Amino acid sequence: MTASPEERPEETDMELIDRWKAGDSRAATRLVGRHSQALARFAASSGERDGIEELVQDTFVRAFASLDSFRGESTLRTWLFTIERRLMLDRRRIEKRSRETVPIEDSDQVSEYGALDALIAEEAQERVRLSLDALSPTQREVFTLRVQQGLSYKEIAEIVGSTEGAARVHYHNAIQTVKEFLRDE
Amino acid sequence: MNKCTDGEVREMLPDLLHRTLPANVRERVEAHIARCEECRDDLRVLRAVHGAAVFAPRIDVDKVVRQIPPYQRIVPPTELPARSRPRLVSWLVAATLAIGFVGIGALLVTQRDDDIAPAAALAVASRAPALALPADVEGLSDGSLVQLMNEMNGFDALPATEVVDPVIPVDAAENIEQELR
Repeated sequence: MTASPEERPEETDMELIDRWKAGDSRAATRLVGRHSQALARFAASSGERDGIEELVQDTFVRAFASLDSFRGESTLRTWLFTIERRLMLDRRRIEKRSRETVPIEDSDQVSEYGALDALIAEEAQERVRLSLDALSPTQREVFTLRVQQGLSYKEIAEIVGSTEGAARVHYHNAIQTVKEFLRDE
Repeated sequence: MNKCTDGEVREMLPDLLHRTLPANVRERVEAHIARCEECRDDLRVLRAVHGAAVFAPRIDVDKVVRQIPPYQRIVPPTELPARSRPRLVSWLVAATLAIGFVGIGALLVTQRDDDIAPAAALAVASRAPALALPADVEGLSDGSLVQLMNEMNGFDALPATEVVDPVIPVDAAENIEQELR
């Protein structure tokens, strides 16, 4: 029995890109499905409050519009993070709003947990949110990319336009700050 | 709290969290964590931060995909090479023309310097017969004679090249004879 295109979980991003270029719109669905939540988490943990869905959507629209410039030297996800980060910076520059981190949408999560669990989770999230607020913008980006996305220092350096060494230093300073903040709470 | 002495392992804690470590490395890291209080503390913080990330909004994949235009309409496959090639060609043409203009200019200047001498020689040569006066003057036509006369009128007097004996006035000569007597 031959597996249908949807039943090929091992298909790489590059293969999906080629399929999409050949006119297979299902490849785009798989690519978006594969990376959209990671982009949403990165945006949320980077302090974005409103319009995360639009941000993720803009990221994909831009990425697909310039897929010819993606050579596969980094992973697609790293490349998408780079695009999303630029969009976030553009947004902040235009709107000139404060970088305070506020929980984005709790409705989905409330539906998945019981009331008590949700309360505990909310408190835990609040503490983590406040600790991340204590970081510099670059520290927060590096820290969340390393901890929440599990990216390597090399990938993080590509996204934030820095070096691996600098990313390491940001990470270590960030975890010290977060630990001290949570210990003092 | 004891301080961590294995920075390499400590840096791998996020990878342990994401289960991206090879089995043998994972065992090494877990063994280290079992005896390192600081790394256990780090791991607790990392788990808290990692767990807090689930509160991002759920993305409607189909909605996002609907906003993505088809590949052909966004970036035609030949657009990029077509745009870059004429630009490169135009630069090459411009550079070639510039070099050509400079080369031709230099050539013209050189030729001009060379042409000045023959032109002067021609001018002198054209006058030379007039100065030398043709031997057979009688053979010249009236028009040629008039032209020759006109040209001769235009000649400047040549400086004297022979030593001429001084002319002594008559009065002065008589005075000299008297003095000699």
